[in-house]
Order: sequence, then C-alpha cells, then structure tokens
Amino acid sequence: MSVATDVTTVAPVVSHRPWWRGRLVQVAAIVGLMVIAYRAFELEYPWPGSLAWNGLSAELDSFQSWLLDQRSAEDRSIVFAVFDGFATFVDDLVTWLTDGILWLTWLGAAAVGTLVVLRFGGLRAAAIILASFASFAALGLWEASMQTLALMLAAVGLSLLVGVPLGIVAGRSDRFQRAISPVLDAMQIVPAFAYLMPVVILFSVGPAAAVVSTMIYAIPPAVRITSLGIRGVSLNTVEAAASMGSTRRQLLGKVQLPLARRMLLLGVNQTILFALSMVVIAGLIGGGGLGAVVTSGLYSNPALAILGGFAIVIMAMALDRSTEAIANRTDPTKRHVDSTMRRTLRLQTVGIAGAGIAIVAGAKLAGIADIYPDETTGGTVVTAQEWLLAQIQKVLDYVQDPTSWVFGITEPVGNFLLTEALLPLQEFLVGTPWFVTVGGLTLIAFVISGLRPAAMTFLMLVSIGVMGVWPLAMDTLSQVLVATVLTVLIGVTLGVWAAESRTVSKVLRPVNDVLQTLPQLVYIIPFIYLMPVSIVPGIIAGVLYAFPVVTRLVERGVRDVAPEAVEAAGAFGATRRQILTKVKVPLAGDAIMLGVNQGIVMVLAVVVIGGLVGSGGLGYEVAQGLVRGQFGQGVIASLAILALGIALDRVTQGTRRARREGIG
Amino acid sequence: MRDRFGTRRARFAAVALAAVAALVVSASALSGGARSAACGNVVLNENAWAGSTSNVYVVKYVLEKNLGCKVKVTNITEGQPNFQAMADGKIDAVLEDWQNLASFPQYTKNKSVINLGGNGITGVIGWYIPRYLLQQYPQFKTWKGLKGKESVFKSPESGSQGMFLGGDPSYVQKDKALIAGLGLNFKHVVAGAEPAQVARWSQLYKQKKPVIFYWYDPQYLNAQYDLVRVQLPARFKGCQDDEKKGGDPKKYACEYPSYRLDKIISGKFAKSGSPAVSVIRKFKWTSADQNAVANLIAGKKMKPDKAAEQWVKANQAKVKQWLAK
Repeated sequence: MSVATDVTTVAPVVSHRPWWRGRLVQVAAIVGLMVIAYRAFELEYPWPGSLAWNGLSAELDSFQSWLLDQRSAEDRSIVFAVFDGFATFVDDLVTWLTDGILWLTWLGAAAVGTLVVLRFGGLRAAAIILASFASFAALGLWEASMQTLALMLAAVGLSLLVGVPLGIVAGRSDRFQRAISPVLDAMQIVPAFAYLMPVVILFSVGPAAAVVSTMIYAIPPAVRITSLGIRGVSLNTVEAAASMGSTRRQLLGKVQLPLARRMLLLGVNQTILFALSMVVIAGLIGGGGLGAVVTSGLYSNPALAILGGFAIVIMAMALDRSTEAIANRTDPTKRHVDSTMRRTLRLQTVGIAGAGIAIVAGAKLAGIADIYPDETTGGTVVTAQEWLLAQIQKVLDYVQDPTSWVFGITEPVGNFLLTEALLPLQEFLVGTPWFVTVGGLTLIAFVISGLRPAAMTFLMLVSIGVMGVWPLAMDTLSQVLVATVLTVLIGVTLGVWAAESRTVSKVLRPVNDVLQTLPQLVYIIPFIYLMPVSIVPGIIAGVLYAFPVVTRLVERGVRDVAPEAVEAAGAFGATRRQILTKVKVPLAGDAIMLGVNQGIVMVLAVVVIGGLVGSGGLGYEVAQGLVRGQFGQGVIASLAILALGIALDRVTQGTRRARREGIG
Repeated sequence: MRDRFGTRRARFAAVALAAVAALVVSASALSGGARSAACGNVVLNENAWAGSTSNVYVVKYVLEKNLGCKVKVTNITEGQPNFQAMADGKIDAVLEDWQNLASFPQYTKNKSVINLGGNGITGVIGWYIPRYLLQQYPQFKTWKGLKGKESVFKSPESGSQGMFLGGDPSYVQKDKALIAGLGLNFKHVVAGAEPAQVARWSQLYKQKKPVIFYWYDPQYLNAQYDLVRVQLPARFKGCQDDEKKGGDPKKYACEYPSYRLDKIISGKFAKSGSPAVSVIRKFKWTSADQNAVANLIAGKKMKPDKAAEQWVKANQAKVKQWLAK
C-alpha cells in the first residue's frame, strides 16, 4: 500500500487554508450529536437480530466441508487436477531452487549473489549483498535463510509473471484499471489468515501453498506500479511515436516499456518487500525457512524468534537496496551506453561469470559442500549465534522484570491509554444506537468526501451489521481510531522533522525499513511484558507498522512545498519556525490528509496480529477461524475488516471536488 | 543461417547433457549416505507448544538411532493445515493432537488420516491460580470460594469485575459460558496467543499479584511457576464443552473433560509398512517425562536434539518397549 501512496502524492497546492479545515467544525458537530445520542440511549439499540443473517457462517462452513469432500473424493473433478498440477509444479520449482542454492555451497552462493549484483547494481549494492550473506551465516541461520530466499524467488517471479502483464493492460485501459483496482485493494486488506484455509485445501501444504498465499499479497504492487509506469510515459512521446505510424504493439514494445523501465524495476523492488512480509505466515503452512524459525521460536525460544526476525529484515534490506541500485543504474534517462562501454560491460559479464564458476568449483573441490557454517559443531559460527542469543535473552530478561524502572514508566502509560482512550471509545462505539453510528459515519463521509463515498460507507457499515459482527467491528473500530491518532501524531511530527533535517531523514530510513519488515509478532511479545494490558500491545503493533508510511508521505509533502512561497515568507522576515508552522505545514495539508488515510489502511492490516496479542475484536475471530477449522467465522470477520477498511478509506479520502475548492 | 542454428543447438544439447550428468552424480552422492532401506524417510510435524517439540524430537532420535530412518521435522500450524498435510501424505505423523478440529471426522472417515490412540499423556485444562494466593484466600481452591471475591482479580481493563485471562485462540475453551453458567462476576479478557497470555500472567505472578487464567497441563512452565488448578463443578451427564454451539450457559457449568492426547498418522504412511509406524504406535510416556524434556528445551534453551538424546539415554527401559516387535 505504501507503493500507491508514494506515487499518488498530490501536487503541491498553493492555498492559505487546506480544503478540509472548514469541514472539521461540521465533523465535530456530527460527533457531538453522536455523543448526545450515546448518553441518551446507551446500549438500548444494539444491532437488531432481525437484520442479521445468522445462517451465513453455517453456509460458509458447509461450503468448506463440500470443498474438502470434493478434494478427497475418488472421482475428482478436472478442476482439482489443475490445482494439483500447479501445486506440484511450484513445489518442484521451490525444491529445485533450494537444492540449487544449497548445492552451490555457502561460499558459492554468496559469491554468485554478490557478483551478479556487482555487475548490475554497482559496488555499494554488492557490498550490502555480501554483508547480508555473511550475516545469515553468522546468525547460524544459513539453511533457513536460503530456503526462504528460494521461496521468495519463486513467489516474486510468479507474482511478476501475473502482475506485470495485468499492469500493462491496466496502464493502457482506464476501464480495466477501474475494474481491477477494488480487487487489488481487497487482496491487500483481507487478512491472509482468512484465505490460508481454502489455499491449504486446494494446494495442500508445502511450498506451493506458501507461494500462492504470498502471491495474493505481492501481486497488487506489481500491477499498480507497472500501470503507473506505463501511464507515466509522457503523452507527447507516445503521440509522436503514434504519428510516425507505430502500431499499438510497437508503441508498447519500443516506447512505453523501455521508458517505463525504471518504474518496472521499482515494481520488482516493492513486490519483493511485500512478499517478504508474508514469510512468517507462509511458515505456518509449510513454507519452512525463517518463517518456521520465528513461529516455533515464539513459543519455546523467543530469542531465536527475534534472531530469525532480524534475518528477514536483513534479507529485505539487502534485496531492497540492490534492486533499487539496479533500477537506478539501468535507467536509460540517467545513463547512456555507447559501444565502447557496451564492450567493457560485456567483458565484465564474462569476467564475473568466470569468477563465479571458479569460486563454486573451488568450493566444491575443497569439500565445503557438506559443511554449513551453522552445523560445524564447536565452530566459530555456533558460538556467534549462542553469543547473540545470550545477549537477546539478557534484554528479554530485563524487559520481563517487573521491578525495572522501564516497567515503572511503561505500565502506567499502557494503563492510561487503556482507561482514558480505548475503553471509553469502545464503550461509546458499542453503546451508541447502531443507526446513530451508521448515520453519523455516513454524514462524516459526506462532509469530507462527498456523496458517492458516503453511499459506499453506508453500504459497508450496513453489511457489517448484516453479517452479524457489529459489536466486534465497533470494538475493532475503536482500536483502529486510537492507533490512527497515535500514528498520525508520530508520523506527522517525524515527517516534518525529517523534511527539515537531512540527518533525521537519514537516521529514519533504516528504522522505517526495520519496522516495516520485522515480523510484528517478534517485537510485540516483549511489549506485552512492558504494557501488560490487552489491546494496548496490538495498538502499538499497528502504530509501529503504520507510522513510517505517514512519515514518508509528510516528509515528501513538506519538501515539495513550492520554494517561491518559502522564499516569499523569508523575504517578509519570517523566522524558520514561522515558515514551518505558517507556510510549509498548511501547504502540505493534502499530503498530511493522505497520510491519515494511508495510516488507517495500514493499521487495519495489523488487526489480526492484534488479535493474536490480546486485542480481541475481529482479529481474534480471524485467527481462531484458521486454527479451529471454523472457516465461516474467519471469513466473516475478514470480510468485516475489509468493509471497515473500505468505509474508513472513503470517509477520509477527500474528494477531487473538495481539493479543487481548496485551490480556488 | 541454418548451419549456425544447427551448431548452436548442438552446443546447447552438449551443455544440457553435461548439466544433467552433473546433477545425477551429485544426486546419487547425496542419497548414497547411511539411509537404511528398511525405514526410509519419515516426516514428523512439530506444533507450536514445547510439549509437541519434546515428543517429536525424542521419537526422531529413537527412529534415527535405532532404525536408521531419515527424519524430517516440519512446522505446519495446528488444525486444518496439519490434517490436510497428513491426508495428502506431506507429513507422516503428529504426535500430540488435542481433538479440537471441527472437520476431524471428515478426515478419519475416508481413512486418509488414522488415529493411533493416546501418547500416554492426559491433557488437563482448567482455571489456574498461583499457589501464593492460597495463603491469603484458602477458599480459592474451589470455584465456590471465588464467588463474591471476584474483585480481588480486578484490573484496569475489567473495571469493578475480576479479570479472567482467556487462552490461546486455537485451544479448546468454554470459559465465557462457564463464567456465565456459574454466575461469577468475571470479565473474560482475551489475552491472545499463548506467548502473549504467558506474558500477561507471568508478569502478575512475578509481582505476587492475584491472577486467574485458562491454563493446561502438561506444560513446561508448570515446572517454573507454582500453579494450582481451581476445582470446578464435577462433570454431569449432558455437560457441554463447545461454547460456540451456544444455548443455556448452565449446560456448560462443569469442569473440562480430560483429554487423551492422540497420535495421528497419515493413511499413506500407515500402509507403507515402514517399521517407524510400529514405533509410533507403541510410543507412550508420561506428563513428567514430557515436561522434563520440554523444560530442557524451552526452559534451559538446550537444542531439541540434545535434550532428546539426554532423556533417551536416561530412560532406556521405556525406549525398549517402543522398539519391541
């Protein structure tokens, strides 16, 4: 989701009042009326049973058991043969990749990876790759890391195979773009836990199931960025080519695709990052590798789970930096390749391939093949891992000590959040008559975003009620709102600061990367010890996952404020602080509002994780649905999360009309 | 042109041949190890809790040392994924199943999954409190003593009510119905997955504060924390355990049943004639055995293989019974 946001940042708007500011009063009035209604009729009007479809869950359950019967029947339909064939193909592909990488030996694999990146991405990127391979070995997680790498290569490859062609079509057809975009939203908001079960029934467990679930999450950025890349090619160029008589096909192959190359490579980059955020979930259904290290470690050896989590982060950062470097280096607008340079490059390729083969052959002959750095008993690597585990354990022990001074601060903070923000809001949303809540939120959507979004919001809220999960959804909504407020506070502050200071911006980047790729369960369990109240750790997980995106958007928005406005203010003698608060921040209003919108969507993406650490609500239902085989329960709760996501997105998206008013 | 194409194809064929040859050589080198023809590969699945890790690694050690099997351990999650994996022959055995999957009969009915019976351990589920609480409130031994004293367990999130910490979403539970059925003034608070729930109650335990929660045995933490099970009303005829079924909470007002923890194997594995099937069929031990191994792994952070080796060496008599013809 961060992808779409990066590119849809609205052009800087020169106005004295952000378009949404006048509307805040109206929103406040609506909320005020809702509070009065809550005071008057607390808990008197829960969602009426007559308006709920109670049989839905049973219907879904019987669908699942039908599917299961079909799957295990003697005369299976041809459809299952197709699924089986695909599953076997992917299983074999991943097994081959894993065996291939392991066959190279750790020395060979590291050398091949580094050399390939050296050729296409340059020295810096190659150094990062080498360091990451070295750290997988040092962490003692070599084999698990390589399994995950193979799984990711297969998942990313297949996602691109599906996503890029779809993106090309979407880039060239508005109608297709409109049709596919809600599907992509759904693929990203519906929690993976909901579709794990059908995936397991259709594809069994193992690499294939892991790859399929990863693909569902990783295809959307591939489609979106490809489409944006095609659309980003300047219209003049396309028209010029068309006027010279290019066919549509030539236009695509010779103009649009080459010019969009950098974007396409960025799409690869984002697809990799999204795929890596599914490693842990893939581990639950036979993906193995680092995902399994994390999930099994959580219960019996949390330090190991944390170590595995950091291996995932290292892999993500290395792949991110190297694909970014490759994207930048192959950008035709940035780099001209003439014939002598082409020859040098060709020589480089040959040299690098030769060096790679020599190292692999050398490693094989020297007998490194059978020795993995994490298996040599008493070797240095084992002790490195043990040392690291001991250090992490020390930190964990400190965190778990209720007499430490840290706990003395965090516990009251957690309790304060719970008793002063979460519980009152939860009581308010659950206790307010349902028609007041539906009406109020629809009105707010109307005020902020306009008629069509308001209609959509109404539809979504009503369908949540009809599915029979109104109180659970309101519980979740209260948590999402508190988490969003915190996300926006932190995100906007850091974003503005980062825009003002290069140093802060530089420091924040790796921090943001870690927060977005470290599996949430890994860092959230220690938080439970520090803030032992349910709901709060889940909120923290949401905030930590979502604020980096807000920061990035706000930083970009403030940076992009027209320099003329800033100079003019400076000429009138405004201080730096005045320029910031009176010029830059108001002018970046649109970007900030977009940050709010994206923050909500990101917070929703973590709702299920919240359910696993005590938040209850819809997330708990989804998580329980998977492990207890209660398909209907899981699907209904997931659909409710999706509906809530769409409703909140519509409430906060603003309208083009509203933005235009802002300009005028 | 044609010529060039021809040579290129020939070259490609040569390279492909060489690659295949290399693969065959390396594959035969890989498989030529100490694998015994009698046993072959066995895939055991380890579930998330430490007890399951103990079962799996002890059996793995015995199969590898005594039968020469090649054992692979997978980490597929509990419930549907476990069972589908066995039905498809992706994993051969699960050594501790707590009978909480709704679609279980669908798998056993067509024999794609076979229940080999208990692993010797009786699973106990119930309401637990720290023993130190009994000094001040000896009446908490039974649920009747809790009545009227619920507010002892109050917390910021339960208001004036007492807080009851619910269990992992994947575990069998009926605490909400029990609380309502017994007429207790507790607020059921979901604590999330087991590591999260442990974080909650162990933090209160360390501060010697009151806490009451869903818990079970065998569990390695029971060796580290001194916990007492609160006595709930005895089971009566027609007492219900699946609170999802709804209805009158009074129907649920009895203690949890004792669970026989079953060994489940895949239908394909059962038919394979592998000697490992017989060992798994005879595999039986006690809660104390399992807790000892689990405590080495999760408490003392020993590598599972090492912990299994230590236990097997000290308990040869038991292991001999598993290996008996």
